[in-house]
Amino acid sequence: MNWGQLAITVVTLVSILGVVTLVLNMQYGHAGLINFGVVAYFAAGAYTYVLLTQAPPSEASLDQYAIGLDLPAWAGLAGAAVAGLVFAAITGWPTLRLRGEYLALTTFAFAEVFHSFIVNEQRFANGTRGLVGVPRPYREELSFIDYDIALAVAALVFLIIAYVIFERIVRSPYGRALEALRDDELALVTSGKRSRRFRLEIFLFTAPFAAMAGAFYIWYTTLAIPDLFTAEVTFIVWIALVLGGEGSNRGALIGITLVILFEELIRAIPFDTIRAAQIAASLEVAALGLLLIIFLRWQPFASLTRAPKRVARSG
Amino acid sequence: MGLLRIEGVSKRFGGLRAVDQCSFTVEQGSLTGLIGPNGAGKSTVFNLISGLYKPESGSIRLDGEELTGQSPDEIAARGVGRTFQTPRSFSTLSCLENLLASIPSSGEHLISSIFGTYLAEEKAATVRAEDYLDLVGLGARSDTPADELSGGELRMLEVARQLMRNPKILLLDEPTAGVTPTLQVRLAETLKELHARGLTVVVVEHNLGFLLDLVERVVVMVSGQVLTQGDPDAIRSDPEVINAYLGRRDGDAA
Repeated sequence: MNWGQLAITVVTLVSILGVVTLVLNMQYGHAGLINFGVVAYFAAGAYTYVLLTQAPPSEASLDQYAIGLDLPAWAGLAGAAVAGLVFAAITGWPTLRLRGEYLALTTFAFAEVFHSFIVNEQRFANGTRGLVGVPRPYREELSFIDYDIALAVAALVFLIIAYVIFERIVRSPYGRALEALRDDELALVTSGKRSRRFRLEIFLFTAPFAAMAGAFYIWYTTLAIPDLFTAEVTFIVWIALVLGGEGSNRGALIGITLVILFEELIRAIPFDTIRAAQIAASLEVAALGLLLIIFLRWQPFASLTRAPKRVARSG
Repeated sequence: MGLLRIEGVSKRFGGLRAVDQCSFTVEQGSLTGLIGPNGAGKSTVFNLISGLYKPESGSIRLDGEELTGQSPDEIAARGVGRTFQTPRSFSTLSCLENLLASIPSSGEHLISSIFGTYLAEEKAATVRAEDYLDLVGLGARSDTPADELSGGELRMLEVARQLMRNPKILLLDEPTAGVTPTLQVRLAETLKELHARGLTVVVVEHNLGFLLDLVERVVVMVSGQVLTQGDPDAIRSDPEVINAYLGRRDGDAA
């Protein structure tokens, strides 16, 4: 087993999905918005990136896709962010009036509709087959270093930026207002604050981060196929957040690290037969469930993920 | 010219007229009690004033400004403070943060929150918040999360939270329910202190002993309407009020 390669993979995936977990933590852990369609923003960013940076579709190729603008990677990343914002506006505007489980159902439904669209609309991005071998950007510029390492570092930087920004918000009066909204909306409203504004803002502000993570995911996998953007992504991120402890950005990162580490370690085990690999795959899901129960029961990281101190003491 | 003028306000739930052509006025700087038997519509009046219910007819004016048709957050921002029968708080936030979360802050804008341009404002607000916590007797609890407070302390926290906002008028819905006698004394002292500072307060209360000793004016509601109003001594001896609470001695079966 190549431990170095495993470490690089873990860092890359933890960074990419860590941003998505942080986004969910801001929406759910802090503002109490139950988003069961996180994958949709991730996928919207990923597909937007691909369509913006691909070469224009040609008659000669068997792959069908809507557009290919051949833009540079940075423009694709910016476009992904804009797509995340637009998608959040479209889904958030009508649904954010909804409370609790209704919001959960609606966001889940939106994500499924989007997934169904990329699967069934061949002309959008080649349907089920998807687009494979999406070029990795800045290969030549980065030829002095192993590309996988460069990508891991880039993803980690992206994660750190997202973490710092989100943590600044959480520790500010804005974060306090979000938590007040989560605790008791009526008490916030009768204190003269528009709860809807906070909901919509935090939803719109965080979604582009999940979308940009989608573009990073394309760089990592080089694949834009619907199978990578199923509700499973949503569930992985939710499990990670619950494992680490919702309401804490640090907890969110601990959670996603555990989940990714667990998955990648199992993946690294060499199996002799397909049957063994299949059994292991089933056991992986069961073990993850068991892990979740153990963590919820004993909360081993509770002391690391306690709510941050916010108030600037005067005394 | 009263601070709060309620004129001909009605609200029905299905066939029930919870509030029926109700009119009364609360004077600037007064300490007014709102009493009446269960179901008289007292809490409904509070919900109508604070915009949680929309009246079918009538007008509610604060300082001459029409409140009906405005959203609850607008009404609150215009200076109506209120507490609830079941106290409401931000349960995971500390007492201090409960107060800070109740006032507008420039740090509640995303850009300013990221760049931290709110710190001076936050410090000043913290000093004020600590004063109000002291006033209601929660000075030692400022770092305690609200969900660790007793029922009585929660009520005091809710009062402090509303005071922090500097409301023009404060509506208290049954502030003594579930509060120990010691804290009730504290509450009465706090209310008198606020009254002395010029705050206008309306109290809905079932504990008449507590209320009649506290307020200067009483509005009595029965079946959604104002039965009578006057000073506490007049109300104490008013046979109509006694009838409304206890039922007629000589009339129909209770």
